[in-house]
Amino acid sequence: MDNLTRPVKIAALGMEQRTYSTLQLFFHEHCKDSYVLVEENSADISIIDMDGFQARRMLEEHKKHYPNQPSILISLSNEKTCDAVYIRKPIMLEALSSALLKAKERLQQPIAKTSTLKMPVTEIGSQLHMTTSNPEAIAPLLLNNIVHSLPKTTKPVKSGSRHFNQYQYSANFLTEDADLEHIDSKLAENFNPDNPIQVAKFQYQSEQMLQGYFQQAYFSALQKQQNVLLKGVWRPITILHKSKQLRVEKNFRHLYALSGMLFDKSDVSITMLDNSVGCEPGLHETVLPAEPFLWKLAMRTSRGRVPVDTNFTTPIKLIRWPNFTRTIITPHALRIAALWAKQPTSLMDTANYLAVPLQHVFMFYTAAVSLNFVVPAITKKNHSTVVALPPVKRHRYRKIFQNLLESLRNN
Amino acid sequence: MTNYKIIFTGPVGAGKTTAISSICDRPPVSTDKIASDMTRDVKKTTTVACDYGTVHLSGNDRLHLYGTPGQERFDFMWDILTSGGIGLILLLDNTRPNPFQDMNFFLDQFQDFIKQTQVAIGVTQMDRKPVPCIDDYHNHLSKQGLSIPIFDVDARKRYDVSLLIKALLFSLDPGLIENND
Repeated sequence: MDNLTRPVKIAALGMEQRTYSTLQLFFHEHCKDSYVLVEENSADISIIDMDGFQARRMLEEHKKHYPNQPSILISLSNEKTCDAVYIRKPIMLEALSSALLKAKERLQQPIAKTSTLKMPVTEIGSQLHMTTSNPEAIAPLLLNNIVHSLPKTTKPVKSGSRHFNQYQYSANFLTEDADLEHIDSKLAENFNPDNPIQVAKFQYQSEQMLQGYFQQAYFSALQKQQNVLLKGVWRPITILHKSKQLRVEKNFRHLYALSGMLFDKSDVSITMLDNSVGCEPGLHETVLPAEPFLWKLAMRTSRGRVPVDTNFTTPIKLIRWPNFTRTIITPHALRIAALWAKQPTSLMDTANYLAVPLQHVFMFYTAAVSLNFVVPAITKKNHSTVVALPPVKRHRYRKIFQNLLESLRNN
Repeated sequence: MTNYKIIFTGPVGAGKTTAISSICDRPPVSTDKIASDMTRDVKKTTTVACDYGTVHLSGNDRLHLYGTPGQERFDFMWDILTSGGIGLILLLDNTRPNPFQDMNFFLDQFQDFIKQTQVAIGVTQMDRKPVPCIDDYHNHLSKQGLSIPIFDVDARKRYDVSLLIKALLFSLDPGLIENND
């Protein structure tokens, strides 16, 4: 074994694309490329997600083929079954950094020893929340602070390790499709907006998340007519106010993977730029339209919840239709948009009137409010909320419209 | 058999003929002629009467799609065309010198029809000329207190045109139910 002056090669097994991308980002940004992700057969160390559907079998196979390779096993459970470094989910940065160092130490031990000696089980990290008490020393990136809603993912993941398609059920991040699977539907069915405990489950602190910081930066850029630089644990994002575009790293999708994480204000900076700089993308950058990006980011952050302080019974008015041909259409989005454009309706009444799951209303609301497409319907005189009107009447051609919708869908 | 119709309108070159073609069951009947007036600078042919296509619905019902001629000198036909229509699709060409003026013109011309029904707006050619952006159109409309669905549309794409029609239908009746919307 060499003394590892080169980057340590890591195989990430049983992980889906977003987890893989987050690890990639972590190694690149915060470990200064001292670790790189590679295929299993050329790795020095493996990181294995033990919450996958067939993770145990995968681990056995892995140990059979690479008995001397140090492993870091990540899992929601406490169970420890083999010689490895264990990290409990959600993964803390400290825990991951520490685990990597331990695995690296093992790697540098002579092979003869490691193959014959039983290595002690090591457990690192079991805390549920991220702290960045020393952000300079600890990479301020959390791989998983999503502690609920394990998705039933079915979408094959394209890249990463050879295990991707085989072991795609991961307890880490939601897939694109699984964004629409979120809070327990039974919980939503019995939701009572007067119950503060239930309300807390359906709300989140958007301002402490990438969504909130991005919103702040984006609207500052528009208001001050200046380009803005948003920096954090992610690659810098330049917001171009005139064209309403973003200049981001080409592999920008990792930003969506950060949507569920909380970031301390001290780790994020928003800087106004001179408009003459920052418009041309660099070699490894690309330019994106800002609105669809924020829409998607908010949608993924929401996962069926709404930002804190959202009133569930105030009628909501749509003041701007989303550009649906170029943004993700959340379930029932067209119906909800049409209803709120026609008649301000509260979140609760919308779900009742349209007979749609409450989480879908919440998700659309969150995405729409992030871009200021919706507002509470307030009367100008006394700032009191408008009394909800009776439900919109059934159109006399509804049957024909249904037929036409069906025809458009089938063709 | 019952017949219903949706009207496609907009200035010359906005993509009305193309949009109807992309959505109807069979190639539409078109009354395009070789352009002989100033229209020829925009495209080789232009619609002088109307485009017409159909979408077959279940139960022997049929939806008729009518495209108005883009040239204003044929605006005498618009009232006839809209009679009995269930809604309006307005297509705007973003490369035209003043698309807001076009929008105002058509919304004004069809205002009685829109009051009785609804309108959805598709802005075409945004890939060739991205400014004004969709937001600019909304800002323009909000000054008039209007909240209308406006989408960036490629008239050749069935998905885009279909979404525009869906937005029109849901605007007419938000209580409609569609699987997988």
